[in-house]
Amino acid sequence: MSTGRPGVSWGVLIRVREAGIAAVIVALIAVFGLLNPRFLNAENLGAIVLSVGILMILAIGQMLVIVTRNIDLSVGSVLGLSAMVMGMVGRDLPQVPIPLLILIAMAVGALAGALNGVLVAVAQVPAIIATLGTLAIFRGLTFLVSNNVQVDPEDIDDRVQDLAAEGPLGIPWLVIFAIIVVAVAWWFTTRTMTGKRLYAIGSNPEAARMRGLNVRGLTFLVFVTMGALAGLGGAMYVARFATVNPADAGLGFELAVISAVVIGGTNIFGGSGTVLGTVLGTVLVGILANGLTVVGVSGFWQRFASGAIILLAIVADAFVRRRIEARQSQETTVRST
Amino acid sequence: MSHTHAAAGDLVEVGGLPWRARIGPYLPSLVVLVAAVVYGSVSSPYFLNFSALLVNTGRYVEIGLLALALTVVIINGDIDLSVASNLAVSAATMGLLVESGVGIEVAAFAALAVGLGLGAINALFIVGLGLPSLVVTLATLALYRGLAQILLGDRAVTGYPEAFIGVDQISLLGDWARVPLPLVLFLVVALLFSVLLTRTNFGLACYLTGSNQQAARFSGIKTDHTRAVAFMLCGLMAGAAAIMLTSRLGSTLSNVGLGLELLAITVVVLGGTDIFGGRGTIIGTVIALFAVMAVRESLVISNVNGQVQDAVVGVILILAIIVPLTVAHLRERSSQRRLR
Repeated sequence: MSTGRPGVSWGVLIRVREAGIAAVIVALIAVFGLLNPRFLNAENLGAIVLSVGILMILAIGQMLVIVTRNIDLSVGSVLGLSAMVMGMVGRDLPQVPIPLLILIAMAVGALAGALNGVLVAVAQVPAIIATLGTLAIFRGLTFLVSNNVQVDPEDIDDRVQDLAAEGPLGIPWLVIFAIIVVAVAWWFTTRTMTGKRLYAIGSNPEAARMRGLNVRGLTFLVFVTMGALAGLGGAMYVARFATVNPADAGLGFELAVISAVVIGGTNIFGGSGTVLGTVLGTVLVGILANGLTVVGVSGFWQRFASGAIILLAIVADAFVRRRIEARQSQETTVRST
Repeated sequence: MSHTHAAAGDLVEVGGLPWRARIGPYLPSLVVLVAAVVYGSVSSPYFLNFSALLVNTGRYVEIGLLALALTVVIINGDIDLSVASNLAVSAATMGLLVESGVGIEVAAFAALAVGLGLGAINALFIVGLGLPSLVVTLATLALYRGLAQILLGDRAVTGYPEAFIGVDQISLLGDWARVPLPLVLFLVVALLFSVLLTRTNFGLACYLTGSNQQAARFSGIKTDHTRAVAFMLCGLMAGAAAIMLTSRLGSTLSNVGLGLELLAITVVVLGGTDIFGGRGTIIGTVIALFAVMAVRESLVISNVNGQVQDAVVGVILILAIIVPLTVAHLRERSSQRRLR
């Protein structure tokens, strides 16, 4: 694996990459729209926007985690756990106001993220192992807190369900939250010193430490952020689906989230990744999942398709990267002779 | 993560080492094993029934086969998250062949071939194209599971010949000692893997590749070849596990073996194999398999829900890494204090 990243070529790569995903998205919309015009009607587009919204909130967090050369496999279970706690609090204490319910879901997620953060940043457990473990732990906790009883639609306040249907200017709150998360993440990664430090950590953790960066602190922070965002995703899950099943909520969600981030061009070895790329990757994953269903491709093909598209994305990435590297080494040879 | 440990330490005979150094890597799994057995016997008088325990080992042999091959992959510094999905495709292929009237022997052979083939596809992407194994096998985890779903849809394949079903019910020594056939098969395969890792050039190449791939390549080790073979072995074991699992269950669904990769990786890591490669033993994996088995069985007997059982395994996985790290850290600190 090459972790050295010559500044100019990486920028080019990312731009080529983002243009490529945008082109694929346009092509997918055209194909799905031609195969079934219902794909383009307002109702279906609305459904896409809602599922992309939830996925986006988690994908942005995952991008930050992967940029620091870590990974969080537990996001689906964290979403399930926070959705469950929020659903149960809403059911058993109907007087709790809606904003507080959302904050509770985020707090549960942040706590779960803090556990991941402690394991990775303090106890130095490799992120993939730590979160593979907590993936099972948080799912088990969801069972324990719910006593294996699901939260039914009639137990979920209508105003909670409205979060996925109504909002200022007719835009559902779910979408507004996703936009806020994207905007803050864009500002954080491009305009703040702390944001830029995340990339330094991911490029070369040892060098970052020697330069005096608080690698452990920042890694912990990133995992807590991821957890809080998965909690927000859990709240939006409750709003959208109006039911929380301990076995189902968020199950396998990590795969869609990591697909979106990897397709968006974030290097799995850390150090690079953009908010715009992640947004495009998420849109692509969301459109693909919805389009396959609308076009009538059996649900059995969807998992296959999501696996195939991750493979395609990383293969395409490797080819583009190699060509750029080859061209660059050619240029340096020409210059030196 | 620092990689100061030498791979050679695992290769040379450790005749002169103190017992603590010899048993060190196996300590976490031994502790878990003993703790689970104690917990199981306290919570139910039926737990410590030796012959029942022996019979139950049949249920863990599939995980064990996956874990053996994963040990080699992880020693190489790679990972294969797709093993359980590979198992599902192999099982689905076998089921469809049997359904269309092909003999069970041919169908079982096809399962092995499919497993090997899917392992080779992983190797093609990872070694051939130089892509990270973590993402590639995360993708093929979905891809292969999807393939199994496409092959089977939501129906169950039954109709396996009677003689094929219930390999786990066959005891090797009759009623005298009920040693189930799968357990014996597993131990034989484990022995083969152990010989492969400790007595062959391939094994040496694995440890060197995992310790420092670049250095290994510069010193003439065919690292690409070594890694590719490990992924194919992993596929082959997924095919073998598919046969065992199908024989035990007597039917095949597309979700067969779902989530087994978590258990198999837990077994490997609990057994002392370094997740970053370069270190690990087959004996460790075997002990850890029995430890995980004892944990699951003791929870089953005290009526703990399946998801909570998984959570306990998750806790053990994390503790298996944290505790040795902390102990080493504390020991280092106390020895520094002594020097001062």
